Amino acid sequence: MANAPEDVKLKRQAEEDAGALADSRTGTTKFLTGLGAAAHALKMADIDVASSYPIRPYTGLMMMLSMMAARGELDLEFVHGEGEHAQLGIAHGASSAGARALTGSSGVGVMYAMEVYSPISGGRCPLQMVIADRTLDPPGDFGSEHTDALSTRDQGWLLGWAHTPQEVFDNTLMFYRIGEDPRVYLPQMNCQDGYFLSHIPMKVVVPTQEEVDAFLPPLQFPDALDPENPLGHGPQLFPGQGHILEASRVNAMMGAFPVIDEVVNDFNSRFGTSYDPFVEQYKCADAEYVLFISGGHAYTAKFAVDHMREKGMKIGLVRTRWVRPWPTDYLADILTKFKAVGVVETNNSFGAARQCGILTLEVATTLYQAPKKPVLTAFMAGLGGEVIRLDEFYYMGDVLKDAAAKGSTERTAYWIGFHNV
Amino acid sequence: MTTLLEEQVQAKVDLPLLQNIHKAVALDEYYVMGHRTCAGCGPALSYRLACKAAGKNSIFLGPTGCMYVANTSYLCVPWAVPWMHTQITDGGAVASGISAAYEARIRKGKYKGTFPNIYVFAGDGGSSDIGLQAASAMMYRDHDAIFVCYDNECYSNTGIQTSAQTPYGAWTTFTPPGPKIPEAKKLWPKDFARGMIALHPGMQYTAAASISYPVDYMNKIRKAANVHGAALVHVHAICPKGWGLRANQVLLCGKLAVECGTFHLFEYENGEYTYQYQPKAFKPVTEYLKIQDRFAHLKPEHHQKIQEFINQGLKRCGIKIPVEAV
Repeated sequence: MANAPEDVKLKRQAEEDAGALADSRTGTTKFLTGLGAAAHALKMADIDVASSYPIRPYTGLMMMLSMMAARGELDLEFVHGEGEHAQLGIAHGASSAGARALTGSSGVGVMYAMEVYSPISGGRCPLQMVIADRTLDPPGDFGSEHTDALSTRDQGWLLGWAHTPQEVFDNTLMFYRIGEDPRVYLPQMNCQDGYFLSHIPMKVVVPTQEEVDAFLPPLQFPDALDPENPLGHGPQLFPGQGHILEASRVNAMMGAFPVIDEVVNDFNSRFGTSYDPFVEQYKCADAEYVLFISGGHAYTAKFAVDHMREKGMKIGLVRTRWVRPWPTDYLADILTKFKAVGVVETNNSFGAARQCGILTLEVATTLYQAPKKPVLTAFMAGLGGEVIRLDEFYYMGDVLKDAAAKGSTERTAYWIGFHNV
Repeated sequence: MTTLLEEQVQAKVDLPLLQNIHKAVALDEYYVMGHRTCAGCGPALSYRLACKAAGKNSIFLGPTGCMYVANTSYLCVPWAVPWMHTQITDGGAVASGISAAYEARIRKGKYKGTFPNIYVFAGDGGSSDIGLQAASAMMYRDHDAIFVCYDNECYSNTGIQTSAQTPYGAWTTFTPPGPKIPEAKKLWPKDFARGMIALHPGMQYTAAASISYPVDYMNKIRKAANVHGAALVHVHAICPKGWGLRANQVLLCGKLAVECGTFHLFEYENGEYTYQYQPKAFKPVTEYLKIQDRFAHLKPEHHQKIQEFINQGLKRCGIKIPVEAV
C-alpha cells in the first residue's frame, strides 16, 4: 500500500475503520478446513504430480487429493513418497520435467527434506509445498508453531502464511501464478497453522473453473528435461563461478515483488477480493501501537483488537502475508508510524538476539535505518500449539500501551504463560 | 507399470539388441567431450557405453559422485542428451518424479512427444548406501525408469572412502590397514542387485554387467530400457585410482573379477536367473587380488577368508561351477 494513490489509501482507511474487508466475491459457498480449501484449489489448478507421505496434521490434504484422483475428479499422478526427503525429490523431478508439481508436510517432516530445498529453488522449479505447521520434536507435539517452515527461510523459496481457510484457497492459486511467472520461476511454501487452520472449517467462497483457468494458465517451463531439447540441469561449478549463480537467485527473489503486486491486484479485480499484496493493516489508521503477526492467530487477534478498541485503546494489527521475500520497504513505511510494535512469535530461535523469535529479528532489521523507530518487543505466544487467548492479547495490548507512553519496555521478549501470570 | 494409452506405449520403440562389437561401435555417441575423469576411469567408460546403448530418446540423472563432480567440474556437461544433477540421496526419487511427470503430461495431452527412457546413473554409495531408500522406492512403485548402479566399490569422488559395496580386506581412506586391523576392512559387502530382486518381487528385469564385457552390458541397458516399468542394471566399473591399478589394467581387472567368480554376470527375469559367464572352473581369487594395491597388505589367511566368501556366494546363488585350486 506504500505506493498506492491517495484516494485508494483513504478508501482503505474507511474500510478498515468499518472493520470489514470490502469483499464482494461471488461463487459457491463451501464450509472447508484449510486443508480442504487447499485441496479444492489444487484440483482447480489441475496439478499433474503430487508426492505424498503421511505426517500429522497435513496428511488430510494428500488423502483428499488421492480421493479426487481415484474418483476421476482430478487427473493426477499420485506418487507415494517413501519419506519427506523423497517427496521433495519426486516433486523436484516432476517440476524439472515440466509438470505442475505439489507436495506438502508438517513439523519434522519439513526438516527431513531440508537438503533438497536449495537445489529446487536454485533449479528454479516452480513447484508448491503446502505446509500445515507443527511444533518440532522433541518430543512429538501435534500443535502448531511456525518454526518448521521458518527454518527453511534461507533456502530461496517464496514463503507466506494464510490466516483463514479462504486465504489458503486464494494463496494456493496466487502462489502458483506468482512462482510460475517467467520473471520469477521459484518454488512456493503455502503455509497454514496446523489444527487451527488445517482442521477447523470456515466459510470459503469457491469461484468457477472458468474463472480459475482465466487467472491461472497452464505452466510454461521452456527448459524442462526433454529429449527434443537436450540440456543439462545443475552441473558442478568452480567456486569462482558461484557468485554469478547466487546473484541470479537473489534477482529472482527480488524480482518477485512487482509480480506479487501485479498478481494479487489481478486476483482482487477478478474475484472481488481486497487483499493487500504484502501486508494487511487492521484498524491501523489512527493506531498508536500495533501487534505484528503472521498466520492463523491473527484471526483471534482481530477480535481482541476490536475489544480493546471498544475500551478506547488505540491499537491496531499488522499482518504480513509474506516472510520471503520479506516486504522490507512496505513494513518500514507502515511500522514507523507507530509508537510501539509487539511481534507475536509462534516460533523459536533458541539463543537469538534479543531472546525473541525469528520475525522480530526481521522487523528489527527492517527498522534499523529508520530515523524514528517505534519501541520494539516480542510476545512468545501460542508455543507448543496452544491457543492464544483473548486475555493474553489484552495483556500484550497493555504492554504496548505502556510502551507507547513510556518509550520503552522492561523486556525485549515477553513469554505468554509466564510473564503475564 | 504404466497407465499410458496403448498407442503411446507402442510409440516407445524397443531398442534392438546388439549382435557384436562392430554394431556397438557404430552407434552414435551421447557421452562426449567435457568430462575430466581419470585416465582409465571405469565408470566413465560405463557411462559412454550406456549412452551409446540408450540413444537419443533418453534422460540421464546424475546423483552426486564421480559421474557428477568429475564430469561437470566447470559448469560443463559431456551429455548430448538431457541430464540433471540429483542429490546423492535421491536419484531414485527424482527419476520417479520425471517418470510421473511424463505419465501425467502425455495422458493429459500436455506433452505430444514419446515417453523417454529415464536412467539414474548412481555410484554404489548412491545406490546401496545413502541412496538405497530412494532406489528401493522407485523399484517398489515400478516407475518406468532404469536404475543403473556403476559400482566402483567405494566413495570415489570424495577421495576413496568405504561404502557398503567395498570388499572385505580393501584399503580405503576410512579403512586403512594397521596392527589393530590387519585386514583393513572387516565388513563384508552388500549383495545389492540380489537384495533388490528379493525386496521387489514385481520388478521385471535386473541385470549384473561389467565394463569388461561391453556388448553384454550394452544389451542389458537396452533390455532394461525396453521394460515398461522399473529395471535395475548393476555394472562393475573398475576404479584404477581407488583400487591401485594402472589405467591400462582396468579392463583386465574387470575380466578377472568375473573369471574368479567374485562378480557374477547375470539377468533375472520371469523369476529366473541366467548367467552369461559359465567357465569350466573359476580362477582362484588370488589372481584378482594380486594386481590391486588396495589388497596388497593382505596375508594368506585373509585370502582364504575371501575365497571362502566367494565359494559360499556361488553356493548361495546355486552356481554349480568349481573353483580351481591355488
